[in-house]
Amino acid sequence: MRIIDAHTHPVFMHDGATPAAARRLVAHGRAHGIVKMVALGDVLVHGRLPSAAQCRRINDETAQLKRWHPDYFIGFCCLNPTLGARAVEREVERCVTQHGFRGIKLEISNNARDACMGAVMAAARRWNLIVLQHTWSQTNIHQRRFHSDPADTAWLARRHPDVSVIMAHLTGCGYRGVLEAKGLPNLFVDTSGAFPEAEILDFAVQEFGAERILYGSDLPIRETSVTVGRVLGARLTAQQRRLILHGNAAKLFRL
Amino acid sequence: MFIDANAALGPWPFAPLTERTAPQLVAHLKTHGVNRALVSHLGAVFLPEPMPANRALFAAIRRTPALLPVPVINPALATWREHLSTCCAAAPIRAVKIIPAYHNYSLRHPALTPFVAAVNAAGLRLIVTTRLEDERHRYHALGIKGIPIAQVAAFLARFPATHFVCSGLYKPEIETLAATHQNFSADIAFAEWLNTLALLTQKIPARRLLLGTNSPLFDTHAQVDKLRLCRLPAKTLALIGSANATRLFGL
Repeated sequence: MRIIDAHTHPVFMHDGATPAAARRLVAHGRAHGIVKMVALGDVLVHGRLPSAAQCRRINDETAQLKRWHPDYFIGFCCLNPTLGARAVEREVERCVTQHGFRGIKLEISNNARDACMGAVMAAARRWNLIVLQHTWSQTNIHQRRFHSDPADTAWLARRHPDVSVIMAHLTGCGYRGVLEAKGLPNLFVDTSGAFPEAEILDFAVQEFGAERILYGSDLPIRETSVTVGRVLGARLTAQQRRLILHGNAAKLFRL
Repeated sequence: MFIDANAALGPWPFAPLTERTAPQLVAHLKTHGVNRALVSHLGAVFLPEPMPANRALFAAIRRTPALLPVPVINPALATWREHLSTCCAAAPIRAVKIIPAYHNYSLRHPALTPFVAAVNAAGLRLIVTTRLEDERHRYHALGIKGIPIAQVAAFLARFPATHFVCSGLYKPEIETLAATHQNFSADIAFAEWLNTLALLTQKIPARRLLLGTNSPLFDTHAQVDKLRLCRLPAKTLALIGSANATRLFGL
């Protein structure tokens, strides 16, 4: 079983930033069949509104992981879009040209519908990057001013059909989120986040097919055996399982 | 083979989950290496009084010895003594469960004093359910939250001579409570972090942890793999997987 984990935080609240910790994580991943991890950075270590310097430090840590294990980690560039177009463009260019990052990670600095996202999507288009937007149903959380609901991330993907967008956290998006993601060929959903609530993955596959679902763990917040186990436990065909665990990510990340 | 300390039959109104009969649940658990399970009925969560669901539970699993009935009692109801004795007479039970958050009382309720005494006198283990689902994902019109950890701690302190099984605690909650209270064990259904059990067993002895899947609300395969693939010594795995349940519930 070969797995690509599309959603990890190898460094989390400063933990994991040493060569030994990175080695342990790679060994842990390989033991579970994970052949590559998308490293999204220590995205909340400076709060929800990191400065430009703090974003650089987060991304430099991701770049360091890539240097230690170049065949294992795929880097995504952590951004705070509210810093403005120039800051966004400068950091994306630096991460792509110096570190070979393949995508952009957006957390909860702003809502996906905000005007500041224009510069982010332009940078993604210019550098052919994938945009991974943290998403969670705001029905019970009530933070929509800066926290993206599935409807917001779907809106972003609809508005930018030439950019591939990953709506993170299938379970956090919930059944309503699955329905929001229907009919948008550039919108992918990752399976990361939350407890392994039963049968929501089955529902997502039934509603929009297995081809736009990516395995993601959200480690270290989640346990790898559980996040893989929920895919293995879903009522899927072997082909659907292979697509979710590996094939879709390999195609999207051009591996 | 494992024992699941936290499984259920019956419908859950807020998600399109497969509703299994008792034989189907046994077969489902067996495919994941679970050969016995302590089972309650989800109907008891929402009915005005839990006895119709308890009766449905007893009837459903009468011929499936792999499933051990855990009736739900609401001690805030005037008739809890009658309910408890009816359950004891209906089937050979080893434990009863309370679900305070869903039954609109707190763990400070005065009736819990005679209730715990009665449960002890009946030779039963009391399972305290602190949550059934991630509060962020609950049905929008349902304002029920998990029981605050301070309330659980006060409850444990109030009955120091009784050993409880807590169900639904998050990993940090188990760790916090374990630092000050020895009179509880916990199922691991809601405990999760990278290397969950390796970390948890540094804070609480393995002899106080139990496999719990929270099936059908959570994916059984994923929950069992949390234990099966945890790379702890076989003895630890055996404790959490079955030996603790055997000891705590007198199986």
